[in-house]
Amino acid sequence: MSATEPPVTCVAPAAAIRHATKERRAAWILTAPALSLMVVILLAPVVIAGLLSFTNYSLGNGSFDWVGIHNYEKLFTRSTYEKMFIATLTYVVTVVPISVGLGLGAALLINSLGRFREFYKTIYFLPVMATLLAMAIAWEFMLHPSIGMINRTLEMGCGTVLERIWPFMANSCAERFPLWLGDKRYAIWVVCFIGIWQGFGFNMVLYLAGLTSVHRELYHAAEMDGVRSAWERFRLVTWPALGPTTVFVVTITCIRAFQVFDTIEAFWPQGGGPNKSTYVMMFAIFEKGVQQNLIGIGSAITMLFLAFVMFLTLIQRWLVERKVHY
Amino acid sequence: MTRDWWKHLILILGVIIVIAPFYMMVSYSFKSPGEIDRGEGGFFGRQEMMVDERCVKLRDPSREDIAAAALRFPDTTDGNIRNALVAEAEADCAVRPVVFNYTKAFSEAPLLRYLLNGVIVTASIFLIQVVVALPAAYALAKLKFWGRDAVFALVLFCLLIPVHAIALPLYIMLAKLGLTNTYAALVVPWTISVFGIFLMRQFFMTVPDDLIDAARMDGMGEFAIVWRVMLPTAIPALLAFAIFSIVAHWNDYFWPRIVVTGNRDLFTPPLGLREFKGDGDGSYFGPMMATATVIVTPLIVAFLLAQKRFIEGITLNGMK
Repeated sequence: MSATEPPVTCVAPAAAIRHATKERRAAWILTAPALSLMVVILLAPVVIAGLLSFTNYSLGNGSFDWVGIHNYEKLFTRSTYEKMFIATLTYVVTVVPISVGLGLGAALLINSLGRFREFYKTIYFLPVMATLLAMAIAWEFMLHPSIGMINRTLEMGCGTVLERIWPFMANSCAERFPLWLGDKRYAIWVVCFIGIWQGFGFNMVLYLAGLTSVHRELYHAAEMDGVRSAWERFRLVTWPALGPTTVFVVTITCIRAFQVFDTIEAFWPQGGGPNKSTYVMMFAIFEKGVQQNLIGIGSAITMLFLAFVMFLTLIQRWLVERKVHY
Repeated sequence: MTRDWWKHLILILGVIIVIAPFYMMVSYSFKSPGEIDRGEGGFFGRQEMMVDERCVKLRDPSREDIAAAALRFPDTTDGNIRNALVAEAEADCAVRPVVFNYTKAFSEAPLLRYLLNGVIVTASIFLIQVVVALPAAYALAKLKFWGRDAVFALVLFCLLIPVHAIALPLYIMLAKLGLTNTYAALVVPWTISVFGIFLMRQFFMTVPDDLIDAARMDGMGEFAIVWRVMLPTAIPALLAFAIFSIVAHWNDYFWPRIVVTGNRDLFTPPLGLREFKGDGDGSYFGPMMATATVIVTPLIVAFLLAQKRFIEGITLNGMK
């Protein structure tokens, strides 16, 4: 800015003011499309969902009633929604730590290698790129009770020593191998597994980027101070240095985990799995709000969902601003 | 290397698990239904000729066909002519399993149309995102105006709202406007990328003011500066953003599932695959996996060709 300002003469103020007005007008014209779209597409829906969550509105009906907190009350009393919270939380609480842990582990292993780093990195990143719905269908075939690759592989273990040391194997060989997707004991864990399978490569790449920014001198200094074992090196140098990366990785994994939908809809188009054991929030919004046209309750779930996600992001920002070093 | 064997062992175990569904998907897309059922044939299957039952059924000879063929098979009964014709049909309908699977993938459902829709939707989303975000990012980074901080604060706030989360109210708005089952419905919610604005703003902050001042001296207006000065400097950042945006929307299933119902002409690739699965009886595993392979391949190939760029693009939000 300062470079263009003309030397102070008696004409200058008028020119400068004219210039500033022009700049202001240009700025508003340039931001106007983005600003209006932000309001219409992002802010208005939040407000609309907030309002509708207190009504019994449904599409096609001209009128609706205000029902107060009735919708929210339902969310916290009906067993269906209890199952929804349980499924969502089980998924998030399982997928987040494991996929972050595996991502970190893979990154550390790969980083310590001399050769084949690119190879492993590429392979582990493949699921992140692939269309999740297509891969869900591939997994569904893998998990097919009779012709799926997984049960076929497990069957090979029958009659071997595995049968004696692994009760699951003994049971399955005696009776039959699990139905996986049709069994309420396994369904949610299978979905978690696919979530982890799909997401840990993303975390690995972020950690690999984080590792390149750990200064070598830190390791030298630690060695000078008598830190010898690999574990101590990790605990005292690497892990603290990766603090900011971890905060980010955990938040983004959490938000993605909350949004799980593709696998569930692909496996169980109706009803959210055996005994509703995989009835996650996104699926509930889709089923209640869109399919059954119960917009009030759908909006209430949307609001809760937004609250969760915003809360998580705010924690992340707060941690980042404190420049986390555990 | 020798010291590292256990690391390779663990990593290779991981590779097997990661690759397994890809391996199976591609392998099934090569095999005949029989081989899939019995689990034989290795990766490529044996590629023995197989008879396409549906093709034979379509050519089931009618009375007229038999009468017409009577000249070719003199001195025999109608029954024998019929059998001969069926045998001919079977011979004509014999195909290699891989050919069968991939032709079925494209002929059973309008897969090309789906792919085209995918391209149209992802491309228009990206282009509109850039047209909207770039000027705003420039204004937020380089122009002084009253309210700039407020606008930027709004951008930061909107970063908190994932579009998938507000899908229901967006769907209601679109339904009220009568826009469900249109291309517009597939594109509109994604036209504003607050993340894109944020990213480009951070990038523009690093562009020296002198460049812009020089352009102003040359008499360029602010619009011209955005497109003729800022855009060229932003190409690397834009490329990363393009990959981020294209991967997300090519693979997106949730939003298209909500706004497109029934109208096959608007199906994006994941929706098409889903439809295929819904229709399929057991014998269509092969063609379905062929469809899945076709849908997954473009991005995977692009990724293998330009890994660095892709990883940069996908992990963009790491820069927040």
